[in-house]
Formats: sequence, C-alpha cells, structure tokens
Amino acid sequence: MDRSPLGFDQSFPGAADDFSALLRRKGLLSSAVIGPMTRDGTQPRTWQPTEATTILAFKFSGGVLVAGDRRATAGNTVVYDRADKVLEIDRHSIMAIAGVPATAWEMARVLEHSLQYFRRTQLQEMSVDGKVRALSKLLRDNFGFVMQGVGVVVPIFATYDGNSKPEARLYFYDAMGAQFEATDYAATGSGSPAVRGILYYENNWGVKPLHELGEEEAVSIALRALDTAAESDTATAGVDRAGKIYPVIKIVSREGITTLPESKIAAVFKEMVA
Amino acid sequence: MIEEPYRWVEAIANRREYIEGQLAPGSPIAALGYRDGILFLTLGQTRQKLFEIYDRIGMGAIGHPGDIERLRMAAIELASTEGFNRSAADVSLRRLVHYSLSPVMKSAFEQIYGPPYLARMLFAEVGARPEDDMFLRVEYDGEIASNGATYARARQDFAVLSGTRQSVELMEAFLKTEHTPDTSFEAAANSALDAWSVGHMLLQTSDAKELPERAAIAEHRREQLARAAIEAAVLERDGTAAIRYRSLADKELRSLVTQ
Repeated sequence: MDRSPLGFDQSFPGAADDFSALLRRKGLLSSAVIGPMTRDGTQPRTWQPTEATTILAFKFSGGVLVAGDRRATAGNTVVYDRADKVLEIDRHSIMAIAGVPATAWEMARVLEHSLQYFRRTQLQEMSVDGKVRALSKLLRDNFGFVMQGVGVVVPIFATYDGNSKPEARLYFYDAMGAQFEATDYAATGSGSPAVRGILYYENNWGVKPLHELGEEEAVSIALRALDTAAESDTATAGVDRAGKIYPVIKIVSREGITTLPESKIAAVFKEMVA
Repeated sequence: MIEEPYRWVEAIANRREYIEGQLAPGSPIAALGYRDGILFLTLGQTRQKLFEIYDRIGMGAIGHPGDIERLRMAAIELASTEGFNRSAADVSLRRLVHYSLSPVMKSAFEQIYGPPYLARMLFAEVGARPEDDMFLRVEYDGEIASNGATYARARQDFAVLSGTRQSVELMEAFLKTEHTPDTSFEAAANSALDAWSVGHMLLQTSDAKELPERAAIAEHRREQLARAAIEAAVLERDGTAAIRYRSLADKELRSLVTQ
C-alpha cells in the first residue's frame, strides 16, 4: 500500500475511523517503545528531558481563564523563557500543558487535527465529552513514555459547552489519562501546590469567590498565583520583571477564545501585583 | 471484448453517455471570488452539496451520494494528513487534485469492468489576494478545468458546476459579464444566485444557445427561492483565523437576495 501522505487510499475505513488511527495506518504517529529496565523495574535515566511547568485555570464571571508561565527547564537548567504552554485546540477549547513539551505539543497537534477531522468528515461538531475523552486516550497511548520517565504530560482542558446547557467546562488529568472535572479551579505542574493554595484561599475567604470575579481581578489573581509559585519553585518563571516577560493568559467564553495582549497583562501587573 | 481497441472506445463512449445522463439533473453550483473571500452557492432541499475540505479549501459536488462521499473522505484524509505531517500551509488544492484525485478518477473511469465515480466536483482555495484564488472543476473521468488564463480565455474569478455542459457554458458566459472580483459580499451573492438561475433554467430547456432574458432570470429566481432553501458557504480571506470555511444558514442570505 502506498504510504506517502498524498497516496490515495481506496479502501476507505468509513465514518468510524478516528484521526489517530488514520495517522497510525499511514505510519505518521510513533508509539512509545519500552526500553530495557533495571532490576528494580525502573528505567535507567541518562538524560534530563525538557519540561514545562505550572499552569492554572479557573472559572470567573467571563468564562474560564487559563494561564501558564513561560519557563521550560531540563534538570536545573533553564532551556527557554518564552515557552507557550497554553494552546488553542479549536474555537472554544484550550489545552494547557505541564510536562515534557516534545510530547505535549505533539499531543496538542494530534488533538487539534482530530477534532477538525471529525467535524469535516462527520459534518458535526464533536461533543465536549468526546473531546475530553479524545485527550484522555492520547494520554493513555503515551503511558509507555511516562513509564520510561521521559514523556510525562499533565494537561488542563478548558472548553465552552454550547449545547443544551451552555456553560464553561474545566478538566484536569493525571499522567495515565484519568479525567477530573473541576468545579472552580485546576492547577498542574511543579509550582501547582502554591497555586492551589492561593486559589483555594481566594475562592473561600477572598473578597469574592472566583466565579464572581471580573476580568481584571481574575488576571491579577492569576499573576499573583504564578508569581507565588515562582517564589519557591525554580522551574516556574512567574513574571520576569527584568526581561518584561509575562505569563500567557487566554480566556474561553461563549464567543470563543481571547488571548490577552501583553500590554494589558503588563498594565494589570503594574497596577495590582507589582 | 476489450481485446479489440474499437470496442474499448465504444465501451468508454457508452459509459460517458450513461454518466452524463445520470449527472444531468444535478442542481448547479456557483463559486465566486469577491473582495473578502470566496462564496459557494446553490439551491436545493434535500442533500448537502457544499463541504469543508481543509482550512482554506471548500468543495461542491453533484452526483451519486456514495461516490461523492468516498471522494470527499479521501480529499479530507489527504489534506489532514499532509497538514498534520507538514503544516497547513503545505496543503495545496493544486497538488490534491492533480496528483491524487484526478489520476484515481481517470483510471476508475477507464477500467470498464470496474465502477466509475459518478460525481462532478468543484473545489476552491482562498488566497491572500483575489488574484491568488484557485478554482478547479474535476469531472468523473479525471479531467480538470481551472480558472487560470489560457490562450483563448482570460483568468476567471469564479467557477461553476452543473448537470450539462450547455448549462455550465451559459453560467460562465453570464458571470463573465456580471461578476467582478473586487465586489462586495452582497453583490457576489446576487450574481451567484442569478448564475444559478441561468444554469437551472438551462437544465430544463436543453436546446437553448443564448442567455435567457433578464426578466426571465429574475422570474425564475423568485419562483425557485420561494420553494427551495439556499445552501451557501464562504472561505474567508481574512487571515486572523486558521480555518476560513464557514457554512451560511439560509436566513443569513435570504434578506440580502430578496428585494
């Protein structure tokens, strides 16, 4: 069978095929290969993969806010300080990533194409449950890499459900692909314990609960949380005051996804955080 | 019987006649480039005829639903894997049609013991500027007609698809005089609907050689609009969003085209 991407495959699998299966059939998706293990069952680890850290998301009055710092590290080395961990999957969905970007970006790419492929071939939008499950399957397929200690990804998925009961929906996952729906907020990555502490505190004893916050208040809490995480976690950048590098913040609402311009984040930071 | 060459030619001619007969009643489709994108438009009540293929590529088709579906799936599959494997910018309509769809349709047509594809398709790809828009019509035998300039014809900023050759020719003749590439959406929608009416009238009177009178076109258009739903889609030229294809609901267009 012709395996080139432009080869015309006449044995169409029909409607049931999903995009990952198509990629595998064409030999375009590599799967994890388990390497030799040491006697205690762990993998010999000879190098440090690049990792990205600390993402958070919470529901506020204008939808879901998703934020991520910009640092990528390998061991104790800073590899990159302008990494984008908040990725748009479709018009209403965001996947934010903590973990190994090599795997996570590829995963986001497969997910993005899967949703589009589904819409184009089936002539209908995939349901929110279908999207959440699609990401779960990708994580599960990646578990071989996780076991080798090189490809762990722990994402957050935020989307707007435009169906029967329109509302913003927020999910977080574990590395094996279990999905958990968050009622108010979610945070993953090495800086997440501090972030979770702040979001829990704000939600319960803050001026008002998270879901009642306006946009500026929400942005300022996201910035404060990431800055706090960076205070004790070397793998999290928070706000780089000298380099003027700010976290990426995106908002999912009924209208779609808004990426906050850096100037706006800088203004909120200057007024309410710094 | 194919040991004898003239029998093969005869078999192909019979097959052509059969397919042309099957496709003849197909409702016309007009695709017009305008200032902010490309508009696909047709009228009908039953099956969906306009489809999204990839970020910047749309398709309209007439023919057997099973064959249209196979070709549509193949086109989406090819575009999606290329877009995933390389990038969305590497997905090109020219390559998709010339290297993949056309050869397969030609060999299916000419292998006379196998089934041909009973379908005729119109593809469009939106460019950064109106002069970069590409329109390709692919026939059941793999033949390709493009909107590019030839020695006999200037470049066209539109393309049409219909059941008969005559209908196609007169729709093109109509759009050549009526349509300008730099026009507004509203003007494009009205020209597209008029062109559809011309094509649809020609399907009913098979011997006409001339364009119908303006009043007759307007009358036919009014009658058909009252009965059938408008099916339309646009490929937006605005480069801020990756996905340019958007299908339009009947009510989004109806107020623009009924005075």
